[in-house]
Amino acid sequence: MVQISNIRAIFWWGTYTILAVWVQKVVPGVDFLAPGIVLSMQEEAGHRTLWLAFIWILLQEGMGNLPFGYGVAWYGLLAMFYIIGRWLFEARSILFMCLIGVGLGVLHPLLTYGLASLGNLTVPLYPSILEGVVQAFVFPVVWVIADRLFPKKLRQDVRPL
Amino acid sequence: MRGPKKIAVLIVAGLFVYLSMYTWNLRTGHLDALSSYTGLDVSSFILRPGLWVSDKVTGFWDRYVFLMGLKQQNDELLDENSDLKREIMLLSSRSRSAERLEELLHFSPPEKWEFSGARVIAQRMGPAGMLDTVAVDKGSAFGVDADMPVVSLDGIVGRILNTGFVTSSVLLLTDSNSRIAVIGESNRSPGMLSGKGYGEMLELRYVNLNAVIEPGELLLSSGLSGIYPKGLPVARVSKVQRSDISLFLTILAEPLVDVAGLEEVLLLKRAPVNPASEAPDAPAGEEATSRGADQ
Repeated sequence: MVQISNIRAIFWWGTYTILAVWVQKVVPGVDFLAPGIVLSMQEEAGHRTLWLAFIWILLQEGMGNLPFGYGVAWYGLLAMFYIIGRWLFEARSILFMCLIGVGLGVLHPLLTYGLASLGNLTVPLYPSILEGVVQAFVFPVVWVIADRLFPKKLRQDVRPL
Repeated sequence: MRGPKKIAVLIVAGLFVYLSMYTWNLRTGHLDALSSYTGLDVSSFILRPGLWVSDKVTGFWDRYVFLMGLKQQNDELLDENSDLKREIMLLSSRSRSAERLEELLHFSPPEKWEFSGARVIAQRMGPAGMLDTVAVDKGSAFGVDADMPVVSLDGIVGRILNTGFVTSSVLLLTDSNSRIAVIGESNRSPGMLSGKGYGEMLELRYVNLNAVIEPGELLLSSGLSGIYPKGLPVARVSKVQRSDISLFLTILAEPLVDVAGLEEVLLLKRAPVNPASEAPDAPAGEEATSRGADQ
């Protein structure tokens, strides 16, 4: 039997996904779903995070036009940043989120260039650097907004000290 | 020491699995197809309701509320229509005589192309969308296939890159990975037109130093690549430079299509070979396309 919390989670993450896809249509080259992965990991949602990552990887790969692999590396490295960063920082501090944003901002042009080279494609670097800068600013802002709007009934963690 | 070693082994194993997956997909394309048939289609389902509402609202505004200048526009369109009718009348007689001459000289008839309209639903989206593409609202369910030519009324737009079930992405001619074999309209000098990125001029490559080509000349698809029909307008030459160190001319061209403002496009598909289609009473659309391809 489907639990009410699961229905609530599906509704919330579904709405988040729809909004993020629409914003990504308006702001090309920037990932608005990535803060959701971190938020879900902070909520220690377990298998729910894996499902979200799986669906969003397919979504990003489908919307994108590079050979398959960007989304896997992107969300894999994002999860790694978060797990490693938790050893040094308070998981919910805004400073930590800003650092993850900077990490993603640097990662975007590197990953784009690396995968385009592997796929023998030509990709202009300057726009991807600009998108990386935008990503670095957008990530903490979206995380703060999503964290504020995240339903209390879905929270499984305790607030920071 | 066990901890760092374990992490190093995990990183190397992860990298190995990732690169194996990447190269396997480059060879087979299975994962690209999976993401197109899931992610691309799902994103289109997410976008379509909003686009439908937006179309209805703007359509209502344009048709029933914002009627300024409608009479003037109508008069202009009537004038244009009469000019076009006159032009078609002259060209159709020339076309018929060209067809008769070709038949006398035993030329094989040009390929027939069918076209269908599609609506642009998005420009590039997401961090993995680094190539210049647009998404259109037709996919394999409508017979759309990879490498199908995409055109607008002004000229060539690009070709189909990936197809989902009901959505496809189109690689625009402005992308750095786009190559179109072209030929000059007046002087018939061949070359390869390649994109240099969004908002940049196109570059015409491999045109010999002694070839005749002038600024302002229209570039048409030559049909040599086997993807595009022959004779479709692509770009207009804007700059020709002679280089002292290169064997080829340096030529820049301006695309005829404003890719940023695209709303609808036409997808071209080779018509199935049918003896009945050789009859002179072919549909008007097909006839127009094949005639254009015959230049």
